[in-house]
Amino acid sequence: MAEKILEIKDLCVEFNTDRGRIRAVNGVNLEVFKGKTLGVVGESGSGKSVTALSVMRLIPSPPGKIARGTIDYRGENLLDIPFDEMRRIRGNKIAMIFQEPMTSLNPVFTVGNQIEEVLELHQTELSKEQRREKAIEMLRLVGIPSPDKRITEYPHQLSGGMRQRVMIAMSLACEPDILIADEPTTALDVTIQAQILELMNKLQKELGMGIIMITHDLGVVAETCDDVAVMYCGQIVERAEVKELFNHPQHPYTKGLIESIPSFDSTTGERKDRLPTIEGMVPSLFDLPDGCNFQDRCDFATDKCRGSEGEPVLKSIGTNHDAACFHPLS
Amino acid sequence: MMKNDAPKKSKSLWQHAFSELTRDKMAMTCLSIVVFYAAIAILSTLGFVGGDWAKEVGPSYAPPSSEFIFGLDIFGRSVFDKMIKGTEVAMSIGLVTAIISMIIGVALGATAGYFGGKVDEFIVWFYTTFTSIPYIMLLVAITFILGKGLVAIYLALGLTSWVNLCRLIRGEVIRHKDREYVHAAAAIGGGDFRKLFKHILPNVLHIVIINFSLQFQTAIKSEVILSFLGLGVQGRPSWGTMIDDAKLELARGVWWQLAAATLAMWIVVLALNILGDALRDALDPKLKGK
Amino acid sequence: MNIWAYIIRRLLYVIPVLLGVCLIIFVLFNMVSPDPTLIMLGKHASLSQMEDLRRELGLDRSWFLQYLDVVKSAFTFEFGRSWSTKQEIIEMIKAGAIPSLTLSVPAFILSTVISIAISLFVAFFRGTFIDKGVVFLCVTMMSISSLAYILFGQWFFAFKLGWFEISGYEFGFPDFAPYVILPVIIWVMLGLGPDVRFYRTIILDEIYQDYVRTARAKGLGEKVIMFKHVLKNAMIPIITYVIIQIPFLILGALLLESFFSIPGLGGITLNAINSSDFPVVKAMTILISVAYILFSVLTDVLYTLVDPRVRLK
Repeated sequence: MAEKILEIKDLCVEFNTDRGRIRAVNGVNLEVFKGKTLGVVGESGSGKSVTALSVMRLIPSPPGKIARGTIDYRGENLLDIPFDEMRRIRGNKIAMIFQEPMTSLNPVFTVGNQIEEVLELHQTELSKEQRREKAIEMLRLVGIPSPDKRITEYPHQLSGGMRQRVMIAMSLACEPDILIADEPTTALDVTIQAQILELMNKLQKELGMGIIMITHDLGVVAETCDDVAVMYCGQIVERAEVKELFNHPQHPYTKGLIESIPSFDSTTGERKDRLPTIEGMVPSLFDLPDGCNFQDRCDFATDKCRGSEGEPVLKSIGTNHDAACFHPLS
Repeated sequence: MMKNDAPKKSKSLWQHAFSELTRDKMAMTCLSIVVFYAAIAILSTLGFVGGDWAKEVGPSYAPPSSEFIFGLDIFGRSVFDKMIKGTEVAMSIGLVTAIISMIIGVALGATAGYFGGKVDEFIVWFYTTFTSIPYIMLLVAITFILGKGLVAIYLALGLTSWVNLCRLIRGEVIRHKDREYVHAAAAIGGGDFRKLFKHILPNVLHIVIINFSLQFQTAIKSEVILSFLGLGVQGRPSWGTMIDDAKLELARGVWWQLAAATLAMWIVVLALNILGDALRDALDPKLKGK
Repeated sequence: MNIWAYIIRRLLYVIPVLLGVCLIIFVLFNMVSPDPTLIMLGKHASLSQMEDLRRELGLDRSWFLQYLDVVKSAFTFEFGRSWSTKQEIIEMIKAGAIPSLTLSVPAFILSTVISIAISLFVAFFRGTFIDKGVVFLCVTMMSISSLAYILFGQWFFAFKLGWFEISGYEFGFPDFAPYVILPVIIWVMLGLGPDVRFYRTIILDEIYQDYVRTARAKGLGEKVIMFKHVLKNAMIPIITYVIIQIPFLILGALLLESFFSIPGLGGITLNAINSSDFPVVKAMTILISVAYILFSVLTDVLYTLVDPRVRLK
């Protein structure tokens, strides 16, 4: 069993909006292991990004607020430690990359400058020259050709894929324990997407960090993750090891997600006639129903699901497999 | 990416903006202030209020009292009545100027943006040239030509204040020109003007509205400067001439004429400013959340 | 396309704009404005007197030649003589420039620095009541007539309290200082509202950019983010805004100079306006327009140098 490096317990994040307070993340529990990738899947608004930002304490406040819960990193609760200490962890022990490589780098600094800045901040023992060397080495590591030239270039001179590589180089410069990747490939072309995911897998093997992969794309999950948590309306509805989840989804929502991946029928080799979709809409966070949040879109919903026995809670239904459903599928 | 693309202004966007505005108490207060001023201006034009401003009602420079809350001026006229009468000049200057600059700005901006090419080059050259000349000198030159009086002020302020709007409209029209819905309109056989009026202008209307409220208050403030330059309205009270009079009065301790005109102007300009900001927040989705 | 080609192309565009400015000035002052001889000689002048004066002023020549005169003066700065004082205009301008600059330069620097400092401070506290309060104060200050500031400031601080000189000017450093302090303060107050609002908007535009979140994720402190990352990006529009105001410093502050009897270019211009002294008004208009055109070239060129993203087309 790999070493547990991060444990999120009962995390609740609230946002104050014009229309009242919403709970974007509601009682989430997650564990991240060294050298393993945890996938967090869900539609937009499901709270997956907010969960990730909470780990970094990057929730914009106001309007956001972490209302409850703990995030344990190596025996410390990240939500309790002083802000200066949190800053020493950010970019150093826990790093993050974002969805928009086009805008996530500062346009008026060279890429070298931006990588060196992290080193200057967290590896104070390095000299200026050493920082430059390390930055070049990082660019080489992420597969950027002629890194000694690229290092003096500005972000706008690089393609989207190259910029995401720079972001990865920057986030891994201090060899963090945990890398949080928030939809790292969503804004990229499909071919580039595969390259970036492959790069992340390769670097994980070399550096041994734990990865939290935030994505809406089950294809990405299948390719990169060891464990998966499926989020819906701010809650985890199912959590399992990746193969188990794809082979035996227990929550109707997970099953719906898996079935809506375009694919070829494995026996006939033909494309499936009609792509099944999940009917209906995600309920508004302002107006969640009693009972199960998925009830209106679920084929199996009963009175129990409609609130007669409260909300379904996440509970073990097999080896290393949890689901929050009154009527698990098998 | 997506967020840089202003969504097509549909009916629901306007409805949304409207409901947002009506929920904004500050904006509604400001709107009622502007309406109140407009009402005073109309009543004064019709002769219901402020008609007695020219009457001598007491001694010269009588200080504020319970009878005359803003005191009397050099000729013993009620400063309060002058302030009320001045509303007429201020509101008409704001309105007419804003209309003139709106017409020129939209016409030139839309023409330049829509037709492009040489027409565009010419209009861009024209406003580049125009903005190179200091605003105040243009104002002065135009009033030299037109002489003094209210019409001269309308024209001088209106003719010199269209460039910003023209630029914005040109930019927006260029952005919208190649949109699919405009092409669709072309495909079903819309002429240039039909296209421009039916499909593009409604999408830039929010800029016009925001600019209108901005222009309205700038014109009211400019009237004071014109009065100071000796180019203001003649023979009737305006806030500008009242403030200008104060340069000789203050040394004698007569502050009430300055106070009355400044206060009257400050309230309506402030209301227009806040209203303009609220309109921008409600109508320009790009700026939301700032 | 390299930077030099861009600069040359940009400079070439100066020519049509400058010709256009001269054309507008010519049309306004030579073609459609009322006959200056009427203004100068009064209503009872005889026709022959008017003829003589027209010839003397060169107004009898063809419009094309008169237009060429305007264009020529934009390059040579030979503006002829004032109608009212009969002085060489260029000498009047040289004499007036110093008092104007002693007022406008310190005022401009101070107001820019103070406004940027306040807007950084406010942006730091964005969304809080400090921010909202300052923004409201700015709008409030902007809504008061500029003339009211000058009148009240002069009356209260100079006349009533006697803290500053009421008006007047002395040449030479530091003799001029006591005379410009109050006008400088009023200038700063006048600029504060619009400037703080403008700079704040620019800085906030940057604060909500994704790269700021990246900087936070790196572990940078808010101060470093603000002063290094945000400010360097915000500097691009700020520099543009600041530079393009410089040409108008020539005019000094028309109103301030007039109220405080500072014998600068603003005062000269104002006298010329009051006495319909067209050559002086024209000269000042041309001077500022030329400066404006050149500074807008400078702004564009600087922009391409400061912002690495700008790719020349």
